[in-house]
Amino acid sequence: MGAMYQMVPVTFLVSIWSIRLGFVQFVITAAGILSLAASFFIRLDWLPVSGGLTLLGLLIFLLQMVMSMKSQKEKNILFLFVLTALLCLFLTIMLGLLLSISLGFGRTVFDHLAILKSHILLGLAGWFTLLIMGFSYKLVPMFSLAHGFSMKLSRWVFGIYITGLALSTVSFFSLTTNLFTTGLILLFAGFTLFTVHIGQLLKKRMKKRLDKGFLFSLSSIAGGWLIHLSAAAASFFPGQEGLFGRLVYLYIFVWITFTISGYLFKIVPVLWWTYKYSGQAGQKGTPLLKDLIRERSAVIIFTLFAVSACGIVAAFILAHTVLFSLSQALFFAATALFCTEVIRVLTR
Amino acid sequence: MEMKNKVMNALKEVYDPELGINVIDLGLIYEIEVDEKNHVDVKMTLTTPGCPLHDSIVYGVKHCINSLAAVKTVEVQVVWEPAWTPEKMSRLASEQLKF
Repeated sequence: MGAMYQMVPVTFLVSIWSIRLGFVQFVITAAGILSLAASFFIRLDWLPVSGGLTLLGLLIFLLQMVMSMKSQKEKNILFLFVLTALLCLFLTIMLGLLLSISLGFGRTVFDHLAILKSHILLGLAGWFTLLIMGFSYKLVPMFSLAHGFSMKLSRWVFGIYITGLALSTVSFFSLTTNLFTTGLILLFAGFTLFTVHIGQLLKKRMKKRLDKGFLFSLSSIAGGWLIHLSAAAASFFPGQEGLFGRLVYLYIFVWITFTISGYLFKIVPVLWWTYKYSGQAGQKGTPLLKDLIRERSAVIIFTLFAVSACGIVAAFILAHTVLFSLSQALFFAATALFCTEVIRVLTR
Repeated sequence: MEMKNKVMNALKEVYDPELGINVIDLGLIYEIEVDEKNHVDVKMTLTTPGCPLHDSIVYGVKHCINSLAAVKTVEVQVVWEPAWTPEKMSRLASEQLKF
């Protein structure tokens, strides 16, 4: 959400609709999420209040983003990616509400499993993936200084991917295996085109030596592609709920988390430099952005991330609980290092 | 002409903080006009519209020219037409980006 407040103005050349409302939204959402977690641990009967606060925060966020994007003059494909991602977030929230009602009434009101599957699919592939794809079309050329590339393929990526999302969602309710397989094949095809397109953009880059964090984000696209391929292949064999559970886990871990953390490694110093040093730009001795980023730390952190991901995949294949726990511990250590590095930037 | 050269030389100290290349070698400066009262008008661009470092670079250009003793006032205008292309970079800048 915080990244959206930065990325929407950068990508669409618009101002945030209401900065004050942004702070209000932050307080409400943070209070909502913290109290929601506390409700699960301490008192379940707090759930209506904590859940209501979280919902309110999310709805204010959606309103803020839609109103900010509305003022964009030329609606382009990036606009479509981000707007559809926001729509998916809205649907995910609504499905989440239905899930809670369904649980409250003992799973008899709606098809609980179909709603749960749609909730997961639209939240992960709809909200996160469409958002990462849309913003990647801005960030990849910006960070690699790519110019003179075609954006034609992005329309195909969008069209095929959202068709895949729609068909897969319908298949959960209609319980049609063929439709589910077709949906997942389309998702894989859309993601493949996205991977090819990013490759094309990178071929047009001027900056030959890319930052390590950014390289890690790009590598995560390959991970995302493999997960989409595995999901499409698994859809040919019904009754693989356990496998899909693992693929969803890897989807969050390898594709979403790794891509975002790689981008963050670059974006946080950019924001901090702008805040701290923009008033000293043009003066001798002013540090450059690269002075804030420790590339060696990036190599260590992202290598640890990659090793932990490989360990988790191996643990899934071998059904090895100890290897899984060790890999998770390694991931935790790498995350702690990542946070330390981000905090270090904020002290420069 | 002498003043214009001074401005050009001074701007070689203003770096794009992301790329570490000065705005002259990057080809971001399109036009520099200096009138008889030493009022300086600069037309410049940036590599990407919406770049978060937009304000910093423009501020750096203004500050750098203002710090020249003879300069009275400075106006900096950011334009997007013609759009920046890599061909606008100096050979030195292109070489620097390869490493």
